[in-house]
Amino acid sequence: MFAAMIGLLVVLWGMAIPLSAVPAPIGPAAEQFADGARVTVSLTLISGSAGVLIGVLAGLGKLSPLRLLRWFCDGYVWLIRGTPLLLQILFVWLALPTIMPEGVELSDFACAAIALSLNVGAYNTECVRAGILAVPAGQVEAARALGLTPLQTFLDVVLPQSMRVALPALANNLASLVKDSSLAYAISVVELTMVGYRVQAESYQPIPVFITIAVIYLILTTAFTTLTAALEAQLDVGQRR
Amino acid sequence: MDSAAAPRPIIDVRKVAKHFGSFHALRDVSATFHEGQVTAIVGPSGSGKSTFLRTLNRLEAHDSGEIVIDGMTLDDDVRNLAAIRREVGMVFQSFNLFSHLTILRNVTLAPIRVRRMSREAAEARAMALLERVGLKSQAAKYPVQLSGGQQQRVAIARALAMDPKVLLFDEPTSALDPEMVNEVLAVMRELAHSGITMLVVTHEMGFAREVADRILFFDEGAILEDTSPANFFSNPAHERARAFLSQVRHGY
Repeated sequence: MFAAMIGLLVVLWGMAIPLSAVPAPIGPAAEQFADGARVTVSLTLISGSAGVLIGVLAGLGKLSPLRLLRWFCDGYVWLIRGTPLLLQILFVWLALPTIMPEGVELSDFACAAIALSLNVGAYNTECVRAGILAVPAGQVEAARALGLTPLQTFLDVVLPQSMRVALPALANNLASLVKDSSLAYAISVVELTMVGYRVQAESYQPIPVFITIAVIYLILTTAFTTLTAALEAQLDVGQRR
Repeated sequence: MDSAAAPRPIIDVRKVAKHFGSFHALRDVSATFHEGQVTAIVGPSGSGKSTFLRTLNRLEAHDSGEIVIDGMTLDDDVRNLAAIRREVGMVFQSFNLFSHLTILRNVTLAPIRVRRMSREAAEARAMALLERVGLKSQAAKYPVQLSGGQQQRVAIARALAMDPKVLLFDEPTSALDPEMVNEVLAVMRELAHSGITMLVVTHEMGFAREVADRILFFDEGAILEDTSPANFFSNPAHERARAFLSQVRHGY
């Protein structure tokens, strides 16, 4: 896991060096590609982490005995899953600044991160809910019988066991997120796809540019899936297969 | 001071009733259990004996009646409930060890979280308990790597780690392969002689006869007989108890 994380960093910071050796139109734009990839990875990491947190909270909310909370979480998932991501990004970008208090400025990047977090959070909600439902009732009974509080029972027993079940699906959502973050180009966030668009517009050579972009995306998703696979292996202890 | 000679009542159950929908699981059950007493609870399937046991630490909430454990009334008061669960340990039919934790962590989790013990103290105590149930060498393994009998012995050690005054056993050997029943019964037999209060729902009539001080026979949600093992096995008072005994009599 550690190795995958370091690999990801090396790829990110070192990418401009081999790319600059490639002939035009790629070589001269190597720094731009590297910058774009960094923005894409930041968007993915920030929205991915926030999305897991939202997923756990909303997943719990959907299983809550409080009807109002359940309805709220149901409504959230219904709304996000039922509308296009591009629309959500545009909506956050155009609508959020109008309701923000005076003096608070949201960057384009922040708007994209908020929209992506809300989006992946909705999909994560269902994965987390399925994971929690998969924990046998006897595990909770044993924890309660030992005197653990409901919060301790959740944090020490239910959450780690539910993550074992939910992680493959969460990893899937993260891999999608790497690519979904490309939609942030619509609100002029200079991420990888936006870089590609600009470079091909200047050079009039779309094919080599977009192939380069595709390869970088492939490297990034591979790094992310290696990371989640390693995490899965770590959580998998004590599980019969 | 003089009263120390008489055993102190530790669980007092008065007219407890419980319904599951239209099913009447417990019908005004009353019983008192004294410190150090080992009670075997027997009866046909669906007679309410497991439900009764599970009301004693509120894994099932009773509908009416009163349960007092060590002077504390078992009700919706969360502080009472927490205090009672610290004093009452439970061993389940299907072990319910925490599958994502090692054997050692299974035993230390509650003392660290609930009793606020230091990790070192909890681990030292856990190792002593694992040694007592003969599983010290398995401490670093995960539950899935152990046999059923070993898992149930760990579950007993886990319950004991909280230093409970009362231990509830809910059919502790029913899910075990026959050759593993004895290793669990041996641990329970040793516990019974240690002076801890035990309530054991069981189908092991040999164990009930040999180890228990008292037998409760449940039938259709009520206690039909409350007597000594010798009396129950040689001279049951009710026809239902006689029928039950003739059905389980083979094998001991």
